[in-house]
Amino acid sequence: MSYTSLELQRLVEPHRVHRDVYTDPQIFDLEMERLWRRAWVYVGHESQVANIGDYITTTVGLEPVVMARDKNNRVQVLYNRCGHKGAKVVTQRAGSARVFRCPYHGWTYRLDGKLQATPHACGYENTDFDIDNPCFSMQSVARIDACRGFVFACLSPEGPDLLAFLGDTALTINNMCDRSPQGEVEVAGAPLPYMHDCNWKMFVENLNDAVHPMVAHASVGHATRKVVESLPEGSPVPSEAEIISPFGGSYEFFDSMGSRTMPYGHCFMGGKGSIHSSYSEIAGYMDAMQASYGEQRTTEILSQQRHNTTVYPSFTVKDAIQIVRVARPIAVDKTLVETWHFKLKGAPDEMLHRTITYSRLINSPGSMVGPDDWDCYRRMQQSLHSDASTWVDMRRYLGRNEPDGNVHVAPGTSDESVRNQYRAWCDYLLDEAQ
Amino acid sequence: MTMDEQFSVVDLSAIEAFIWSEAELLDQGNLRQWRDLFAEDGKYWLPASWQQQDPLNHISLMYEDKMMMAIRVENFGHRLAPSMQYPLRCSHVLGNFRVLTDSATMITIKSNFQAIVYYQEQTLFAGTYTHQLRRLDNGYEIVEKRVDLINCDADHRSILIYL
Ligand SMILES: [Fe+2]
Repeated sequence: MSYTSLELQRLVEPHRVHRDVYTDPQIFDLEMERLWRRAWVYVGHESQVANIGDYITTTVGLEPVVMARDKNNRVQVLYNRCGHKGAKVVTQRAGSARVFRCPYHGWTYRLDGKLQATPHACGYENTDFDIDNPCFSMQSVARIDACRGFVFACLSPEGPDLLAFLGDTALTINNMCDRSPQGEVEVAGAPLPYMHDCNWKMFVENLNDAVHPMVAHASVGHATRKVVESLPEGSPVPSEAEIISPFGGSYEFFDSMGSRTMPYGHCFMGGKGSIHSSYSEIAGYMDAMQASYGEQRTTEILSQQRHNTTVYPSFTVKDAIQIVRVARPIAVDKTLVETWHFKLKGAPDEMLHRTITYSRLINSPGSMVGPDDWDCYRRMQQSLHSDASTWVDMRRYLGRNEPDGNVHVAPGTSDESVRNQYRAWCDYLLDEAQ
Repeated sequence: MTMDEQFSVVDLSAIEAFIWSEAELLDQGNLRQWRDLFAEDGKYWLPASWQQQDPLNHISLMYEDKMMMAIRVENFGHRLAPSMQYPLRCSHVLGNFRVLTDSATMITIKSNFQAIVYYQEQTLFAGTYTHQLRRLDNGYEIVEKRVDLINCDADHRSILIYL
């Protein structure tokens, strides 16, 4: 049995959503089919495949893919499946190759996925096997495009192009890159994976949930304050404290940061000010920026302070701290969250050190912030099976948002970003055509 | 380093006892006393990559100085932290101690460990410890404790306590 459109529609009301969207494996399957195959999903950054032959493996929805730079210097995203018996061809997370060779029967593929050779090919004589037929290739995904080096894939040939899809969120990606004196970023090392026992939407919804930090992260805020206060008088504020302290910000602080929503379920918090506003300056960075951009443009770039920008459903970015987090759904109650760190080319090393420190303190499985979120998601995932109620609330500041250019603005602690995600969710899920 | 050189270290058993007692403080959840074993410039490092060279330019699971350890001591078991509202117990087993470097002031000693951590479910962590110890008149202090997990780059769930 699957859901009819009417049944799906009934799961989402203006102010609440039915728990089945988080717990029912059938809904998860429909999401993979209708949402994750149609949206632009983040694959990786071009700097991870800087040279011809470089590749990485990851997933788009549930599809295993390889991103590789081919002989013509083009970035390809291929299904990671042998055209012969269907074995996964590449298992390393990253590497470099001249061709892809399936280790089972030795079929080899060019870096653009085209089948190049099969051993003992005489066996295919007088069959309709055709080495040029794409069905025997490692097939390319329907569409690939990039924004400032950030590569996205869409498994459907239809729908908006990447820039139309990104809309105003492209400004966050642009801003992160513009924060490099050379206008470019590159991936710094391997990602930090963190396995979550929750539905992917809980993680994505929480990114712009500004009513939880002062509660769920209160303890680390208290602990930090206590330790900082015990330091000898006149000690400089440690950078760790600068990073952790805003997580204990007041409701009013987060409300004034504002939440901005836009089509396709995207959103971001902040704009002119965010939890990253009061970091102290790193020596040499300003000079490098002003030498590249001049004073006025530098001020413009650095005054854009967005907290989490969410490109629904997979990609979230903090421009001011150069961190990307990616949701990789695995099952209805299992989600891998990857954190990626970016180096601003031409900036002092201390900028990357701050990015790394931030991630270690906030995003790491061994941090004192991430595990509190992790635990709250897990609590929800477990208790939503309770029949005490079958609804999840999302009515904070309902109806209290205003258009502002291309976006809608709501108070930062509004649930508007979640309501906006479910409007997009319905658009995807209610469209049955394939 | 030859076997002979290893056994030339007179205080090896005292050092082993020091590291065992360090692990026991973790087993007891006594982070405050555990932190006291570290030098003022001491560091705890849990890399996220195999044979990771660099804690500053590459992400680690943990890399903490004494100030961060002090924050963790305050946060550990805090009644307001959702993640701390569960029993958390661990059991460490240590062995295969071998001396890497040795001088009048400093000693670097590597060991193998297994730590079973019970937190919501039971998880087995395993790998090596590399302790850089400073010799004091009456014992040792930890300048760095590096913990290399054999699955350092795996998809971890939350790690709530030092390993
Ligand atoms: Fe949080």
